[in-house]
Formats: sequence, structure tokens, C-alpha cells
Amino acid sequence: MRFVHTADWQLGMTRRVLGARPPKEAAGGLTGEAQARFAQARLDAVSALGRLADERDAAFVLVCGDVFESNLVGPDVVARACEALASFRTPVLLLPGNHDPADAACVMRRPDFVRRCPPHVTVLDTPGVHEVAPGVEVVAAPWRSKHPLTDLVGEQLAALDPAPPGTLRVLAGHGELDVLDPDDDEPARIRRDGVLAALADGRVHYVALGDRHSAWVDAVDDRIRHPGTPEVTDFDEVDPGHVLVVDLDEHAAHVTVETVGGWRFVRHDAGLDGDDDLDALDASLGALPDKERTAVRLALVGTLSLRQRSRLDDLLAAHGHAFAAVEVLEQHSDLATVPDDADLDDLDLHGFAADAATDLFAAAGREDAEARDALRLLHRLVGGPR
Amino acid sequence: MRLHRIRLRDFRGVHDREVALAERGVTVLQGDNEVGKTSTVAALDLLFDAADSSRRADIRAAQPAGVDAGPEVEAEVSTGPYRFVYRKRWLRRPRTELHVLEPAREQLTGADAHARVTAILDETMDRVLWRGLRVEQHTAVGQADLGGQDALTRALDRAASGTGGTARPDPTADDGLVERACEELRRYRTPSGRATGELRTAEVRLADAEVEHERCRAALEAVERDVAARDRLDADAAGVRSRRLAHAAQVAELEDRWAGLQSRLREVETERGRAVLARERAETARERREARDVLVAAVEADAAVLARAEEARDAHDAEHTAARDERDALRAADTAAREEAAAARRAADEAARDVSAARDRAELADLAERLRRVEEAESGLAAAERVLAAATVGPDDLDALEDLARDLLRAEAARDAAATRVELTAPAELTIEVDGEPVTLAPGETRSLPVAGSRAVVVPGVLDVRVRPGHDEAGRDDVVRACARALEERCAGLGVADLEAARAARRSADDAARRAAEHRAARDREVAGHGSTAALRQAHDAVRGRLDDDLGHGDDLFSVAEATTEPVGAADLAALRHASDTARAAADDAARRADEAGAACRAAEDAVRGAETRAAVLAERAADARHAHARRAEELRAARAAEPDADLAAAEEDRRARAREAEREHESLAAALADDDPETVEARVVNARAVDERLAAEAARLEREHAETTGRLQAAGLEGWHDELAAAATELEAAVRDHDAVARRAAAARRLHETLARHRDRVRRSYVAPFRAQVERLARIVFGSSLSLEIDEDLRITHRTLHGTTVAFSALSSGAQEQLGLCARLACAALVDPADGVPVVIDDALGHTDPERLARLGAVFTAATAGEGAAQVVVLTCTPERYHGIGAATVVPLAPSRRPDDRDRMHDRDHAEVGDHRDADRDDHRDDHRGDHPAAPAADDTPARAPGTVVDLPRAPRAG
Repeated sequence: MRFVHTADWQLGMTRRVLGARPPKEAAGGLTGEAQARFAQARLDAVSALGRLADERDAAFVLVCGDVFESNLVGPDVVARACEALASFRTPVLLLPGNHDPADAACVMRRPDFVRRCPPHVTVLDTPGVHEVAPGVEVVAAPWRSKHPLTDLVGEQLAALDPAPPGTLRVLAGHGELDVLDPDDDEPARIRRDGVLAALADGRVHYVALGDRHSAWVDAVDDRIRHPGTPEVTDFDEVDPGHVLVVDLDEHAAHVTVETVGGWRFVRHDAGLDGDDDLDALDASLGALPDKERTAVRLALVGTLSLRQRSRLDDLLAAHGHAFAAVEVLEQHSDLATVPDDADLDDLDLHGFAADAATDLFAAAGREDAEARDALRLLHRLVGGPR
Repeated sequence: MRLHRIRLRDFRGVHDREVALAERGVTVLQGDNEVGKTSTVAALDLLFDAADSSRRADIRAAQPAGVDAGPEVEAEVSTGPYRFVYRKRWLRRPRTELHVLEPAREQLTGADAHARVTAILDETMDRVLWRGLRVEQHTAVGQADLGGQDALTRALDRAASGTGGTARPDPTADDGLVERACEELRRYRTPSGRATGELRTAEVRLADAEVEHERCRAALEAVERDVAARDRLDADAAGVRSRRLAHAAQVAELEDRWAGLQSRLREVETERGRAVLARERAETARERREARDVLVAAVEADAAVLARAEEARDAHDAEHTAARDERDALRAADTAAREEAAAARRAADEAARDVSAARDRAELADLAERLRRVEEAESGLAAAERVLAAATVGPDDLDALEDLARDLLRAEAARDAAATRVELTAPAELTIEVDGEPVTLAPGETRSLPVAGSRAVVVPGVLDVRVRPGHDEAGRDDVVRACARALEERCAGLGVADLEAARAARRSADDAARRAAEHRAARDREVAGHGSTAALRQAHDAVRGRLDDDLGHGDDLFSVAEATTEPVGAADLAALRHASDTARAAADDAARRADEAGAACRAAEDAVRGAETRAAVLAERAADARHAHARRAEELRAARAAEPDADLAAAEEDRRARAREAEREHESLAAALADDDPETVEARVVNARAVDERLAAEAARLEREHAETTGRLQAAGLEGWHDELAAAATELEAAVRDHDAVARRAAAARRLHETLARHRDRVRRSYVAPFRAQVERLARIVFGSSLSLEIDEDLRITHRTLHGTTVAFSALSSGAQEQLGLCARLACAALVDPADGVPVVIDDALGHTDPERLARLGAVFTAATAGEGAAQVVVLTCTPERYHGIGAATVVPLAPSRRPDDRDRMHDRDHAEVGDHRDADRDDHRDDHRGDHPAAPAADDTPARAPGTVVDLPRAPRAG
């Protein structure tokens, strides 16, 4: 039996790094060019995995939670998601996760979703065993609220008897295993022991999980898996952009990883202590492929002169136009601008202006950021056309 | 820069004039108003600033009225290494020409020329200083804005860094920098420090973003709350449902018990009704029996009332009789008293009459006496009147007689005086007769006898002497005779013998009149109080009549007569009066007693009447009582006939027994019911029903809230709040970033500006000392050596100290401000390097300066412009006296320069033409109408004139 395991589509997500909507622009929808392209990319990834499922003749596509970024996404997001789903020929099972729990506001029960939802899509909003095909059962552990007080997966597993012979059971759950995130205070954490036990005694044959945006497989039993998000959502994700094609029998699962995502979120740490480092930064940014689908986050550490700092500003501005986003993460950066004598000579000042500049230089040497800014302004005013 | 000469053509009122200026020191351009002094300076500005193609308002204003010619200006200027002649014409055939004379000859025209001049000026001259050192006409000579002058700064820099010090390389670059930094700061903040421009926009964006983010977050939270509320509502609804189900069974059981109790309650109620009815019947029987008792009692009471009434009536009858008896007795007493009173009254009247008669008699006697005296008087009066009537000589007659007698005497006297006198003297006593009358002559006595008529002197027996007067004496005698005759005739007329007789008659008549008056007075005295004798008599008769009446009946006339003749004595009258008083008192007493008796009688009558009325009332009351008693007795009899008293009592007893029985029955049933505690059961039933209702309401409320929440959630789902919040958060982050960046830039701009300004001010402070030294040097000439000045970094004079008194500049008088302003400019001109210097132009200043200070200011000008390479100072004035004190001044008088046709019209009043100061020297007599112009060198060929005279002189030959 073959099915496609995916999760964390996060439809409706926006990323601040990709820019704000211009001020005064009308509300509603994503604005900003990169933001819009990113939103489209998420939908494209869904369409791609749909095509993949069709091509591979999968029995169904199982989405383990967080189909939507929130229960309160706009009708446009819902409509586009439904359109994307409608392009599937393979049946689709949608499990409510922590972002879109099956509570009173559940997006997958909203009239606009229900009206547009294609018939081959099933929402697993009731916990328990669902027979999705002859001899194939999916045990759903949907989120009913944002803050469940129990291990939902464990609860479902505890209620199960071993699967009847000839029946394959797939558990669909959402959440971190306790080994991945040993947070004692979180009552909804999934107990790995229980899951392993259920797999061992044949109550289920595959545990399909969601919530973790990076792909992950359990070291002991490779039938416990996180597929990761099909399209990257953040800089700290490891190997996102994939879906799993699972060939399952009662004893083992054969899993193929397929890539559907096209964007990259790259974090780049650089030490800047001179023109050479600037050159290197320039080169490394220039070497990145697919810049229009890449967001770069820089953490810069070092000391630059006034002139070098101006060069850095110019350099970043120039690359900013090519990339979807280039941002300097202030909290991880420690970049000092210390003017040197060459800067002072460049100014070519005399009289009291020279005295003032000397004053500012001295203050700038004492980590006075305002004085450095003032010096840069002086640079500009003197260097500017008379 | 130095100006050598300026030529104006067709410029405002000037037709064509060239003015040459001294290359250094003071040049005074003097001339009347509208002669074109200010135009000269304005023309210079236009020449340097305005292209020949310009049609600026001030250029159009420079075109002379009604002339088809463009204004034209030419100037010869040296500045830096250059010396050039520059000419421009505007509006009509515009043209620009430049002839550079030094250092290398060069000729340019048009825009090239303009550009070249601009370049030369920018290169060699501080044009701001050029403006700053100028004093415009009609503006107060205030402080020049010298702080930013490059040339001055250079000069001061030199001064500040010591003589001949190393001037720093070109500090001009630094100056604009402060302004640029300021401009940069103004992009973010207004001078008052408020945010503006980019910074303001960023702040607004940030505030908006915060508001929007907060709005979205609140909306999202509201949805979350609704989600939670929905969960809670679901749980609550389930709870309520289960509680309702459990409660329903309890309600049913209680309802059953309550139904059973209710039917028993109804039975008890019926029994109670029965008992109440029986009790009511018993009460009715009792009431009837009591009514009978009441009736019997009433009959008895009536009888008692009747007895009392009759008793009272009888008692009253006795009382009544006694009253009548007393009344009768009083009536008799009353009659007796009245008779007694009448008798007393009569006696009193009698006594009064006696008194009256006695008084009348006395009066009658008096009246009779008075009547007698009247009659006497009247008879006397009649006698006197008779005498009067007989009297013939009236008083007037007597007077006439007297007059006549006097006339006679006078006539006789006159006759005698004129008459011959016979003097008789006897040696011894001798008796003679004179005219028949004996006259005895004493011895020695001489008697003189006038002879009137004839006189006969006889010595008896001896001699008869007859003396006769002469003829003229006879005339006098005639007069005497006539008088005597008149007297006699009058006497005869009056019936008297002579004057004596007349006098006697007169006297008797007067006597009679006096007597008549006396008698009349006596009569009048007696009739006083009555008016006349007749009235008196009438009164007398009336009294007499009265007495007659009084006495006539009982007494005879004699007594009357007696009474009349014998007046009553006073003692008798008093006795009578006493008797009368006594009688009257007795009568009054009797009358009072009669009144008292009458009153007592009337009281008794009233008492009798009262008694009668009461008797009637009592009789009536007795009758009523009797009647009532009879009726009540009849009623009782009838009632007893219908139902004897015994029957009533029996019926009452029977009913009462039955009622007691029914009540006992009811009580026993009720007690049985109370044992089962129906109230508790009812309370529980009521409570169970209320609980049920409350649960139903709770369920309904939950259902409603559930529906509402669901509706809100459905609506919220379509709002897309997540997207909104995401967008708002992104915007907020961007706004924060943007704001931080702008704020940082703004802070940097402020920092830079502050730092630059601080350093500039420091440098300027170092400029203050040399500048102040120079200004003080000049100002002490005006104000004296005790002067000192305070000057701020902008090189403005802030305070003046004189004789130890410090005053703010703005508080100084206009004159002092003017003088200090001038000193500052001249100091500036003196300080600035000759190569950098510009002319100081003063257009008609010092209007506020007194003559003493004007003289001192002259010294200031001289001191400021002394020395090689001194500044060029141009003074324009219409009152040249102000500038007489300037020793080294070159004076250029200006006269109107009119067009030829204008001049014809104006005759020879003015005849200035194009001319420089050399012309002026020759033609200075043109200013002669200004007479005392000391600045103008006196021309030898001009006769000395008194001030104010106007002389037409032949026109000077036209120069040039």
C-alpha cells in the first residue's frame, strides 16, 4: 500500500523578513512582491505533491496537521487551498493540528471551506479509526483545542486492539515526541515508548507525525517519521521542502523522500574586520543561487571604519535588490564602526569644522553610536556637491 | 573692491550723470531729494546682479517715465588684481559691455561679460559684506549682520591669531557646513524641536502601525475567547441537561403527593363552611333574643322618663305661682313710687316758680328804674334840642362875624394910625369925657386918642373939644364905617345885636348840644342790652306780663304792684333758691326710686314669662314622654303576641348547640390534615417547579449564547484576522525599524549641528576681542574714553558701558544706536584687508545724531579711513551739514540731471548736466540757493550771498 505522508503546509503564512505591505495600502491579502511570491510557492508545493501522489498512484495523501497557518486565515487563503486540493486525483486526509485545531473556529468546518472542499478530501476532525480503503485504516488523533491536556496519540493507541489480520493501520498524529523536545511541562507531548510499543504489538503499522518542519525519522523504528514542511518557513529548519512516499506492509515501511519546495532561507554568519572580509561577504552573497527565492539573514561581527561601513551599507543595499530578502539580525550581530585617521583626512576640514570633527572622532572611539552617525553625516555633507 | 566712477543714463530721474569717487577715504555725495543719490547705489546693484535681458520690477521701475530709452549704467571698478569698466543697458536695446583694463586687457560683451564679472566678483569680493556694510535710506542704522562675513572673518582670524600670524588655509569651506548641517537637522526637526518631515512621517507610521497591530491582536484575542467560551458553553449545556433529567423524577413524585393533599384540603374546606354557617345561624337567634331584651328595657326606660317629666312639670307649677305673686307686689310698689315721684316733681316745680317770680320781680324793678331814667334823659334831651333848634348862630356864622369884626378893627387901627392924634395929659387927676364916655386920666398920664371922624373930648364943665379929621382922613373913616355896617348887617341877619351877642348865642347853643349829648349818652347807657327805649319798655312789659301771669290766678294786682314797687331782697331769693334745690333733689330721688321700682317690676314680669314658657316646655315634654311610652309598650305587646320571650330563648340554645357540633367536626378533619404537613409539601413542590424552570432558562440561555458565539465565530472566520494580524505585525516591525533608522539619523544630524555650532561659536568668541577693540577705538571718539562695549559671538554689540553705566543696545537711544552701528561698520571696513575690502555705503543716515556728536563722528570717519589702503566710504546725503565734520572728505554735489526738453520747461531754475566733481567745482554756484553750504568750496567769482537768496545766473557751459 502506498501513500504520501506530508504535514505542516502552513497555508496563509507570511514572513516578516519578506517585507511589509507598503504603508497606506489597503488591507487584506498579502502584499509586497516577495511576500506574495512566497505565498504562491506554498501553494505550488501543495500542487506539486498532489501531482506526485497521482503519478505514484498513491492510495491517499495524509496531511498530519497544520494544513493552515491558523483557523483565522482569510477566505482567499481557504479558497486557494481548496483550488489546489481540487487538482488532486488522489484522496486527501486532513488532520487538524495545533495551528488549525478542530475547535469552534476550525477552518476546516467553516462554511467557506465546506462549500469549496472537493469530495475526495476528508477532514479527520473526529478521533478514532477511519477506514479509508478496504484493508486500510487511519487512526486519527486530531487536535481539538490549542492546548490539549493529554498525549492525544497515546490516548488513541491505548484504546486500540491489534489490527485485524490483513488490515494496515496508519496512525496520524501531530506533535513532538518526548525525545525530541523534553519539555516536562507540556502534557501533550507524545510518549515515544507508547508509540514504539504500539508498533511492536501490531496495533499500528506506521506512525505519521506532523508539527516538526524539519524531516526526521526515529532511530529505533523508521516507521515513526516527520516529513517536514514541503516549503521552507524559517531559517532554522533542517532539510525542509520534502514529502514522503511510503510503501507500507505489515512488517516494514519503504520510504522515498521527494522534493517539492523551491525556496531557501539562508543564515550567514560573517566576521567583518576589513575590506577583505567585505569582499568575501560580497562574493558569498553573489554566489548564492536562485536569489529571488532566497532570504538571507546575516549575523555580522567585527569592526569597520567609517568608509568601510559605508561600503557595507552600499553592498547590502545592492544585494537586497536581488534577493527576496537580506536582513542583518541585530541581536546576533556585533558590528562596530570606528573611524580611523584616514577617515579624518578624507574629510579635509579646516578651522572650527576640523575641531568639531576631531571631537566627534574622539567620541566615536568611545563607542558613542550617535557620534559615529554624526561623523557619517559629516562625511556625506562634506563629500556632497558644494 | 573700489569704485572709481559710476555713470547713469536714463536711469529713473537721471538723464545722464557721471560721478567719480575718491579711491580711498570718504566721498560725500550731496544733493537735494530726488536728485538721484539712492539711484546711484541701486544702479550699482542692478549692474552687478541683473542680466541685461532681465525685466525685473526694479529694472522696469528704473526706466524714466515717458522716454523711449532703456536705463543704462556704467561703472569703473577695481577689485583684487582686476580693474574694469562695465556697462549695461536694459529693456531697450539691451547690451552688456566689459572692458578689463588690468591685469590684462580684455573685452567681452553680452552674457560672457556678465559671467566674467560675476566670476571676478565672486573671486575677489565678499558680496555679503558688501550688503552688510551698507546703510539704506530711511532705515534705522541698526546692527549690521557681520557674523557670517568671510572677509571679516578672515580679518578677525588674522587678528585673533596674532599679527602677521599664519592665516589658516581657506576657512570658507567650513562656513556653509554649519548651514548644511542645520538644513539636515531641519529635515527632521523644526527649530522648536518638534519632529517634522521624514521623522514625523516615521513617527506617524509607527503610531498607526501600533494601533493597527493592537486592533488586530484584540480582534484575534476576541476570537480566541469565543472559542474558549464555546467549549465552556458546550460543557455547561451538557451539565444542565443531565441535571434537568435527574430533577424531573423528583418533581413527579412531589406532584403526586401534592395532588392527594389538595383533595383532602378541599374536604376540610367544605366542613369549615358548614361550621361557619351553623355559627352564623346561632348568632342570628342570639341577636333576636337580644333585640327582645332591648325592647323590654326600652319600655321601662320610657316609663321612667315619663315620671321624671311629670314630676318636673309639677315642681315648676309651684315656682310659677310664686313668681306671679312677686310680680303683683312689685307692680303695686311701682305705682306708689311713681305717684310719689310726681308729687315731688310738682313741689319742685312750685319752688322753681317761686324763684323765677322773685327773679322777675327784681328784674321788673330794675327795668322800671331804668325806664324812669330814660324818660328823664329824653325829656332833658328834648329841652336841649329845643334850645338847639332855637339857636341861629352856627359856628360858621360866628367865624364870619369874627372875621368881619377883625376887619373892622384893622380898618379902625389903620384909620387911627393915620388919624390925627389927640394926646391928653392931665397934671392932676382929671375925668373927662371922650365922645361921651368918661375917661379918667391919672396925673401925668398921657392918653393918645386917634381922631377918626370926629372926636369930642369934653372936660366936663370946662371945655368941649371937638376934633375933626381932614378930608383924607374921612376916607379912612368911611372904610371903618363900611366895615362896621357890614358887621351890623350880618348881626342883624343873624338876629343878634352884635358880636358879643352872637358869641353868647353860640355858647348857649354849644351848651345845649353838650347837654343833649349827655342825655343821649345816659339814655343809651340805660337802654344798653335792649337796643332802644321801646325795646326796654317791651322787656319791662314782658316781665310785668309774666309776673301777672304767674300771680294773676291766685293773687291780685295789688301784690303785683307791691311786687313791682317792692323789689325782692337778695336774701329772700337765696332762701327761695335753696328751697327749690331741695325740692328738686327730693323729686330726683323720688323719680329714681320710681325707676328702680319699675325695673324690678319688669324683671318680675320677665321671670313670670320665663316661668310660663318653661311650664309649656315641661308640659310638652311630659306629653311626648307619655306618647313614646305608649307606643313602645304597644310594640312590646305586639312582639310578645307574635313570639313569646321563652320561645326565643329556646331557639337560641338549640342553634348554638348545633354550631358547636359542626365546629368540632371541622377541627378534627383539619387536625388530621395538618399531621400530613401539606405546607412543606407545597413548598417543596413550588421549589421543585422553580428549579425546573431555572434549569430550563439556563438551558435556553446556554443555547442562545452558544448560537451567538457560533455566529460570531463564523463571521470572524471570514474576516481573516490571522492574515490581518500577520500583516500588521510585519508592518509594525518595519515601522519600528524605519523609525529607529530615521530617529538615529535625526539624532546624528542634531549632534553634528550642535558640535559644529559649538566650535564655530568658540571661534567667533575669539574674534570678538579684535573686533571690539576696533569698534571701541572708533566709538570712544564719539562717546569718550570711558566707553566699553560687549559684543557677542555674532559680532553684535549687546551692551554699552559709559561712565560705569551699562545699557543694553536695544535700550539705547536711536541716536546712540545709529552712532554705534556706524562705528561697527566703519570698524569693519577698517579691519578688513584692503584686498578684500568693499566700500561702505551710507545713505542719508545720522538723522538722530546731535551736532556735537556729528562733529565727533566726522573724526570717526577720518580715523577709520586714515592710512594707506584705507576703506572707501561713500556717504549720500541731502543734509551735508551732517558730514561737515569729516576732515578728509571729498565732496561731490549732485544736481538734477534732466532731459533737454525738461530743462526748457524748467527754465534756469536748475541747470545741472552730466558732470563729475570737477564740473561741480566749477559750477558750484548752482548750489547758491543753499547759501551756507560750507562743504562746497566757495568760488571766487561768486558774490557772497545771504542764506536763502536765489539768484539766477547764466548757465554754466555744459560739460562733456
